[in-house]
Amino acid sequence: MSFTGPSFPNIAPSSRSLSAGDFPGTTFKAQDGVEVRVQYGNQRANTELSLSFDNITDANAALIYDHYTNCRGTLGIFDVPNNSLTQSGNPGFHAGTGSGTTNRFSATPFGMRYRYAEPPQFNSVKPGRMSVIIKLVGVLDK
Amino acid sequence: MTYYSGKDGVLTYNSTQVAKVSNWSISSTVDALDTTVLTDSDRNFVPGIRTITGSATVFYYDSAPVPLLQRVVKTTAVTESDILTIKLGWDTKYIQGNCIITSAELNCSVGEVMQASIQFQFTGTPTGVVL
Repeated sequence: MSFTGPSFPNIAPSSRSLSAGDFPGTTFKAQDGVEVRVQYGNQRANTELSLSFDNITDANAALIYDHYTNCRGTLGIFDVPNNSLTQSGNPGFHAGTGSGTTNRFSATPFGMRYRYAEPPQFNSVKPGRMSVIIKLVGVLDK
Repeated sequence: MTYYSGKDGVLTYNSTQVAKVSNWSISSTVDALDTTVLTDSDRNFVPGIRTITGSATVFYYDSAPVPLLQRVVKTTAVTESDILTIKLGWDTKYIQGNCIITSAELNCSVGEVMQASIQFQFTGTPTGVVL
C-alpha cells in the first residue's frame, strides 16, 4: 500500500472535468475484423479529475500547495471527501443512485484513491489572488 | 454649486503648464477577476488590476506641444527618463500621476490649425487625486 496523505482541502473549484476511466483489459483485433476483448479485472481504474481554481485567495492556494507537499507529490494517495470539491455544482450527478454510490466525482466509493497525476500549476494573478490547476488520477491501491 | 467647463481645464507636465490645450480626457478601468465557483448561480468578481489612460489635443502654437512630442518623436530610443508627471486639472481639482506617452500624432491639414494629439498611460498608482 502506498503512502496515504491528508484529505484534499475543502475548496470549491471554478471548473471540473471528469474522465471516468476504464476496466483493465486488452482488445485483440484479427485481420478479418473480428474483435475480442479480454477483461483482466472487475474494478474500474484511471479515473481522471481535472480541476481549476480561478482567482482564489493566496491562503487557499497555499492549502493546495501544502496538500501536494504533504502527499509527497505525485506518490501519495488521498481521499477526496464529500466536500465542496466534489459535491458542488452537479447534485443530480454526484447523488445518483445508478452506481450505488453517493458521489460519482469521488474515487473512494469505487475502490480507488486519488493521487496527483502531475504537479499542480500556480499562476499569480494579482497580489492576494492566484489561479491553480490540478489533475488527479484515481488508482486502485490494495 | 459650480459647473465646470473647458475654461477651467489645464494640463501640466512636470509642473509646467502646457499652452493651447484644446481638450484632454482620462479613463480609469479595473479588471474584474471572476471568482465564480461551481455552486454559484450568479457570477462573483473581485477587483483586479487598474489601468488609467488619457489623451490630450494641443494646438501647435509656437512650441506648445513640443515638450510632450519630444518624449516619443526623437532620434533616440524612449527610455524611463521619458516618464512624465502629468497633471490634469480643472479649477482646484486634479488627477496626477507618472505617465508614459504611448502615442503622439501630428495633424496638418489645409484650412485647419495644426495640432498634436497625444495619448498617455499612467504607470503606478496616481500620485494625487482631488475630485
